[in-house]
Amino acid sequence: MASKAKASQPAVIHKVIMVGSGGVGKSALTLQFMYEEFVEDYEPTKADSYRKKVVLDGEEVQIDILDTAGQEDYAAIRDNYFRSGEGFLCVFSITEQESFQATAEFREQILRVKNDDNIPFLLVGNKADLEDRRQVTLDEANQRAHGWNVPYVETSAKTRANVDKVFYDLMREIRSRKMKASQQSNGQKGKKTKKRKCTIL
Amino acid sequence: MGSEDQVFNLMKLLDDGIKQAETIESKLDSYDKILQGVKEQMEMMKEKDTLMSVRNQNHQKLLAELENLVKQLELEEKYSSSLSNGDLSTPNGILDCTAAAQQLQRCQHAAIHPALKKMGAAEEQLRKFNQLASSFSKRLSHYLNNLFIHQGNEMGETLSRQSSDLRLPPHNSSHRDLTPYTELMAWLKQSDRDAFRQLTKVYTNNLSKLYVKEIQFFLETAKQVAVGKGDKSRLNISGGRLSGSSASLSTPMDAKNRAGSVHSIDSASVADGDMAMRHLFDQVFDKVLSELEPMCLAEQDFCCKFFHLQSGVQQAPKQSDVIDEAEDTGDIWMKQKPKITIQLAEDDSYPREYIVENLGEGLTSKVPTWQLRQINDEIRSLLTDLFPNLQDDLDGFIQSSDRQDGYYSMYMLVRMNEHVANTQDAGSFLSVTFASSLVKIKRNFDKFVQQQIKTIEENKVSKKAKCGIISFVHTFEDFANQAEVIFRNSERHTDLDKAYQKLVAAIFGSIQRIAAEHPKTPKEVIMMENFHHMHSTLSQLKIPCLENEKKEAKAKYNEYLSAYTKERLGRPLEKLHVFVEGVNAKMNQGVKPEEVGFQLAFSKTELRKVIKEYTGKEVKKSLENLYKKLEKHLSEEENLYQVVWVSMQGEFIAQYKSYEELIRKCYADSNITLEFTIDNVLEFFSNIAQSH
Repeated sequence: MASKAKASQPAVIHKVIMVGSGGVGKSALTLQFMYEEFVEDYEPTKADSYRKKVVLDGEEVQIDILDTAGQEDYAAIRDNYFRSGEGFLCVFSITEQESFQATAEFREQILRVKNDDNIPFLLVGNKADLEDRRQVTLDEANQRAHGWNVPYVETSAKTRANVDKVFYDLMREIRSRKMKASQQSNGQKGKKTKKRKCTIL
Repeated sequence: MGSEDQVFNLMKLLDDGIKQAETIESKLDSYDKILQGVKEQMEMMKEKDTLMSVRNQNHQKLLAELENLVKQLELEEKYSSSLSNGDLSTPNGILDCTAAAQQLQRCQHAAIHPALKKMGAAEEQLRKFNQLASSFSKRLSHYLNNLFIHQGNEMGETLSRQSSDLRLPPHNSSHRDLTPYTELMAWLKQSDRDAFRQLTKVYTNNLSKLYVKEIQFFLETAKQVAVGKGDKSRLNISGGRLSGSSASLSTPMDAKNRAGSVHSIDSASVADGDMAMRHLFDQVFDKVLSELEPMCLAEQDFCCKFFHLQSGVQQAPKQSDVIDEAEDTGDIWMKQKPKITIQLAEDDSYPREYIVENLGEGLTSKVPTWQLRQINDEIRSLLTDLFPNLQDDLDGFIQSSDRQDGYYSMYMLVRMNEHVANTQDAGSFLSVTFASSLVKIKRNFDKFVQQQIKTIEENKVSKKAKCGIISFVHTFEDFANQAEVIFRNSERHTDLDKAYQKLVAAIFGSIQRIAAEHPKTPKEVIMMENFHHMHSTLSQLKIPCLENEKKEAKAKYNEYLSAYTKERLGRPLEKLHVFVEGVNAKMNQGVKPEEVGFQLAFSKTELRKVIKEYTGKEVKKSLENLYKKLEKHLSEEENLYQVVWVSMQGEFIAQYKSYEELIRKCYADSNITLEFTIDNVLEFFSNIAQSH
């Protein structure tokens, strides 16, 4: 049975990383997406890894989610897992201006580590159910997203609003990036192999 | 003296008067005598008159009595001829015979004074009736006897010719053929118990042979269909009867989607082939039960009426159910019995007492007492004679299915329970049969669970370099996903819950055993990865009774993540680590921080020696080695590299800080520092990140 189970694991894996300041609801979004549960009490995450099989536009794929710590004393600790990510959900809380400001830092670090300006990336304004405590306007969030050339989506981990959407939208971006990359690499196959040879030499 | 004459005259006058008076008196006396005679005669006449009228009345009464007697004991010629020669094969003949038999019965049980029965004529007449009755009873028994045998044979012949659809041949037509004789059977039951009993025996003997054959053939076909041999369309799931359960027949995929998780396909990890087979079996099994039910009910219903086993059945709510249900099976009683008490069955004001029947194995079934009362031992024993092998054959089917695939026991448990719970007449033969099978199914299910536990406990440690996720952890995920679909909305979920708890306990135990035994992968990694997986599985399943196990899995995962982190982080700076541990041990023994340096083993010189071994270059190399080790130990599948690495980085920095702090505290004025800075460490981390 185990071998069967393993054999049926989808070949395609999309690696998603949750980033953002502490307490904005990264884990809440992840748990809501994974298990459809919402945990009220807050417990800071160190790092946790999740895996789920989903159907993305008719194709069976696997999503790996790395849920990370918002509070980290040293940014360098994040380098390694940023590097492993194929797409990022950059989360802030619409009720906390600071968390919105922090997204810029995260974005910067991701672009530096990935060395890629077009890395699949969604700006996510969480806690949309707390409209009366909003500190970040839709306008400024949209503006920032526009400036980065990424989509902006508001979510609520509590009500599950847009939770599936952000994960699926990100997976679609990752998928289309991968398709482009494989087309390119097919085209440049000769070049690449050459390159590798050089390094060996 | 004249006066003398006058006196004399007067005297004479007086004498005359007296004489006159005497004459009158004597006349009166003679009249009186005459009158006396008349009176006597009158009295005599009166007496005679009374006697005459009494006699008259008696004559009249006698006449009436005789007329009544004759009327009561007279059987019209047409009746007696019907009884001796009436055609029992045509509807009209049967009607005539029925009427005649009823007339005969009326005559035989005429309400006449016992004394009158001693009259020669009455005696003779009654004797004649008895002869008529016994000869008719013989004729009727003989005829029905042949009819039963004939029917049994005829249907037996058609059996082999019937199409191979998975269905039981209906007995409606044979029941319909026999129905006209119902009243005659009632007569026979009253007039000739022995003949009636004999006839019942003939019926059960012949029909039981037929039923045995039919059911065996049917179950054999079901087995064939269930293993996918032959045409699946045989299953012939038509809307009507199955529509009630069709909702639960939907595929697990549908179910999962409906459960809310938008595109989750976790249950699809089981090979589709297995799932298709199990799904097919579930349908076959439901079909088997759904076919047996109406067949048994129809036969029971027929026997009740035909053999007059229940009295006052029309008032019973249960009976109305049967009538109600019979509508769609083209029931033969519809014309005769008015539908009267259907509402009674749904009437909530009806006293709802229940007897909780303990079926053993933790199974109970609630039986309303008013239903129980209706169930007659006679009917049950008749049905037992009619279906002598049903229990064995059904159990045989269950056992052979169970041998094919242990998962089947779960489907059977749920399905059979549904049928037992929804049965319309608890306590009937069929319900008792099903209930007994349910107990066996439950045992099979327990065995299946026990088998899985055994597999888990006997799981061999794999010799692969990486242990990864142990096979039974995956198996449980598949098992639970399937079981949740099968047991959804079933009362039997409690049985499943118990099984879950046993399985999870066995899994947790075996993870620890394998973790301890595995030759290559560290114990901590096996614990961490497998409990992480278990936690994820349990979170996805959300089974309320496993909430504690879920928490335990999470706690174990965290415990071993930190154990592994600490264990491995002793390595990059091992000597320094040992040194610091030693210092800490001393301080715990009560040595003051500033005095630690005076201990020979922990002198400044010793510290310098240790620190010198860990130059930045060394540290970088050992961190790189650590990362490589990590890649070697951790499995691709559980994907915990990042998590563990983050944990290690954090722990390493924390250690670094604690070493610095310790040096500052114990060797304050010695100016000893580590050979590398925290910025160096962060740079190493970034470099490792870039190179992987």
